Amino acid sequence: MKLRLTLRQRQSINGFLFILPWMVGFLVFVARPFAHSIRLAFSKVDMMAGFRLSFVGWDNFNEAFFIDERFVPILVTVIQRNLVDVPIILTFSLFTAFLVHQKIRGVTLFRAIFFLPVVIASGLVVQRLFQQDVGSIEAVIGLDIPTLVYMYLPARFADIVIDVMNRLTLILWRSGIQILLFIAGFQGISPTLYEASRIDGATDWEIFWKITLPMLSPIIIVNTIYTIVDGFTDIFNPMVNFLRTVAFSGSFRLGYAAALGWIYFILIFILIGTVFISSRKWVYYGGERDS
Amino acid sequence: MEYREKHRLSTTGIPWMLVWTRRLQRFFFLGLVYLLLIDIAFAFLLPVIYMASSSLMTVQDFLDPGVFWIPRVVYWDNIVLAYQSMDYLVGLKNSGIIVGFATIGQIISCSLAGYGFARFKFPGRDFLFMLVLFTFIVPPQTIIVPLFILYRQLGWIDTFMPFTVPAFLAHGLRGSLLVLIFRQFFKRQPYELEEAAYIDGCTPLRTYAQIMLPLARPALLVVFLFSLVWHWNDYYEPMMYLMKPQNFTVPLRLQILQQGLQEITGGAAGELFNEPLVMAACFLVVIPPLVLYVFAQRFFVESIERTGLVD
Repeated sequence: MKLRLTLRQRQSINGFLFILPWMVGFLVFVARPFAHSIRLAFSKVDMMAGFRLSFVGWDNFNEAFFIDERFVPILVTVIQRNLVDVPIILTFSLFTAFLVHQKIRGVTLFRAIFFLPVVIASGLVVQRLFQQDVGSIEAVIGLDIPTLVYMYLPARFADIVIDVMNRLTLILWRSGIQILLFIAGFQGISPTLYEASRIDGATDWEIFWKITLPMLSPIIIVNTIYTIVDGFTDIFNPMVNFLRTVAFSGSFRLGYAAALGWIYFILIFILIGTVFISSRKWVYYGGERDS
Repeated sequence: MEYREKHRLSTTGIPWMLVWTRRLQRFFFLGLVYLLLIDIAFAFLLPVIYMASSSLMTVQDFLDPGVFWIPRVVYWDNIVLAYQSMDYLVGLKNSGIIVGFATIGQIISCSLAGYGFARFKFPGRDFLFMLVLFTFIVPPQTIIVPLFILYRQLGWIDTFMPFTVPAFLAHGLRGSLLVLIFRQFFKRQPYELEEAAYIDGCTPLRTYAQIMLPLARPALLVVFLFSLVWHWNDYYEPMMYLMKPQNFTVPLRLQILQQGLQEITGGAAGELFNEPLVMAACFLVVIPPLVLYVFAQRFFVESIERTGLVD
């Protein structure tokens, strides 16, 4: 017997069937662990007794902020680095994409090179590689910058500058995907806009600020979010290593690790939420956007 | 002719002065662009060149400040030794299984989900799609503990299941991003082909498999390369779920390099373990994706632009 369904009902069923694997995956590998980790965060886990939980209230969070002297400094470092790195990566990748977007010879070779880090940047390899100091600014331009910086800047500020310089190649290596997206973005801007503005007598400078940048703003937001997420799971991120140590090295403090994971998640959520909400003010979505 | 010469105009009627300033401007602009490009490329390639060159050096060359980039003697033994200490072939087999299954799984399941989100209207679709995006921003660190417990209870620790099963269910490494890529791609395709197929009595699944998927070649290539490279380079999850060295993937084998050297040399690792050897091992890790990329990059850059990832 064939079921009689309206077109809309059939559409719905088919749609659900297509996303069914994803839904199962979401429930098993995201939703359930997510809920589970909330419970873990408020518990002490006994590994030996088949992961039995005993409720401890806010103890884990309390420990993270007021007892454990390692956690807060790491958290501050992570936030500080991200606040510094994200603008650097965005500006750099926008600039590089602009260069590679020029119609000149050999540009495809450069594009290939700039995407290379994404292909070979295996966390562990990068870690070994950058232990060798090939990533610092001195290795790249051969100047003793740190002394100069300490001469002219206040110490607290200079520390941040030096930190960035030491990780410079590392930071640049994280911009492969962003460059790619910006290139695609440049290509998506209609040439008629440029022609029209030129006829109206706009200078290159004005064109960049009033046409290119607004047209790229949706990609800027995508790249910002991608960069933040990427930065929070990077191998050089001290928090990633700290969490692993807490959870799996020796003591197996799973409840505490879950609580730390949650603090971490809330932090990312707030950061991305801020970016997202502020983006409504400055992102320009072209004329017609369906869906 | 005389008029042009008298007023110093070019053949297009523009004064020569202006033509030459323009040309000069263009020349300097190009020079600047190339200079910057080469500079950035240098900074990008420096670590790679360093890795390649020092893996071919003897320790003497490596420590000698007079030797710069180019080794005095090309010394292949580092690579051979690293290859043996890492037990490279076993690693390659493990990585091959994980990367192979995970990539195929993600391509199938993520394209299905992407197509579903792009082309069908059903209640709660937009909310579910929000959940896809939400998954992307949840750091693995937040759910790693419950996942570890789950896999332990399932008996999946020290198997390849934690990498392959989620991949077949459109999750795994950045699965949500891949769903997004497919959705964006399918959204841009015209409806006519599908309508024609439906009128001819084609089922949705068949329409997807025989009509839409072949069209999606650029998106498939992008997802294939991303998925493959990310799975190959992943270290965080393998480190969690693989305990026994014989199950280690190639990148994880960097961790047991010294130990492996100890075993094959019978305890003489102290003298042989050095920086060129580590670099050789790193080189062995990056070689497979690098070779693949050299072949695929031409199509890859093109494809990215055609997937409409950004609009």
